[in-house]
Formats: sequence, C-alpha cells, structure tokens
Amino acid sequence: MLIYTDMVQKVKSMKIDDITQASLLYDFYGQLLSKRQSQVMELYHEENLSLSEIASEFNISRQGVHDALKNAEKALSEYERKLGLVEKFRKSSDAVSKIDRIIDSTIDVLLYENTENTVKAVEDLRKVKDIIDKLEE
Amino acid sequence: MVKIRLKRMGAHKKPFYRVVVADIRAPRDGKFIEEIGYYNPLTDPVDINIDEEAAKKWLGNGAQPTETVKKLFKKTGIL
Repeated sequence: MLIYTDMVQKVKSMKIDDITQASLLYDFYGQLLSKRQSQVMELYHEENLSLSEIASEFNISRQGVHDALKNAEKALSEYERKLGLVEKFRKSSDAVSKIDRIIDSTIDVLLYENTENTVKAVEDLRKVKDIIDKLEE
Repeated sequence: MVKIRLKRMGAHKKPFYRVVVADIRAPRDGKFIEEIGYYNPLTDPVDINIDEEAAKKWLGNGAQPTETVKKLFKKTGIL
C-alpha cells in the first residue's frame, strides 16, 4: 500500500521538482504534522540543511532526524493522496494563468479595433483581470 | 566551513528560493554572507538565475554546495 502511495506521488509530482512539491505539501498540510516533524521538514526543505546539521541543532541522532523526516513526508503524501489540495491548486493556477493570457491577447485585438463597443469590452476584461490579480495575491 | 544553500522565500503557496552562501555555524539566524542567485519554480519555464562568476569564486574557495544547489548548478552549466 505504501509503495503504491509513493508511486502515485511520484507520477503526480513529475511536472514539478521535488523541492517545490515538498514546499507546497508543507504549506497546505504542515500544520497537521507534529512539532518535531514540522521543524525537521522546515529545516530540511526550506532551509536546505543536511540531516546531520539538523541533528546537532536539536541534539538528537541523525537517525532520529531521518525518521522524523520520513514520517513527515509519508504523512504529507498521505494527506495529498486523500485530499489532493496541492494538485487541485496547481491545476487551477495553471488554468487561471491561461485565462489571463487569453484575455491579454483579446484586449490587444479589441484596442486595435477601437470602437465604442470594444472600449466597453476592454473595460470589462480589465475588471476580470483585476479579479484574477486579487485571486493570486 | 562555508556552504551554498537554497533558502526558501516567497509567500504561502508561492515558493521561491534564493541561492545563498552561508557559514555552516550560523545556519538559522537568517544571516548569510552573499546571495548569488535565485530559483523560481512556478514560472513556465522555471526561472533559474545564478551569478556564475560569484558561484565559481565560492566553489574555488572551497564552499560546499548542497545536493539541491548542485543540481541547479548543473542545470545552468556552472558544474
């Protein structure tokens, strides 16, 4: 079962590199981890420290850090397998940026025509872009 | 010893990383010696920008890049 989960995770994260995937998983589900798991995840993935550096930071063994990290990663993969929030977030971000680009080129065409109707249409499209900008903040 | 690490910046759900040179003894106080580049994974294509001259200078001085930074250096042809 665990092997299967890991495989699903790998296929899903193919497009994006492992560091970024780890950061996103941590952003979405990090608060569900134990304190130690969360500290280790943060130092390993966000601060890019090595296992032995983290071990001396907390005065625990390197093996202890390794176990905490693996357990944290396993838990995060499991949350993602069940909830899929990161995947959903990435899909909607991709969709929104595609929409944004289409609006940009449509605005260019409309500006070129420059009639009363197109001026109104451009105004509306800019409002849509404002909504998108707020969404991405 | 001096290391070259990736340091996460960027907002919630918008990771962005700096490539920094930092002393190994002061890894957590946020201080680093020099920023030599950045990596933005969320653009299409991803945006990696590293000051090659500075990177080579630090590598020449014996600074140790982490595995992750090594990968970025390889992608940009520094290593």
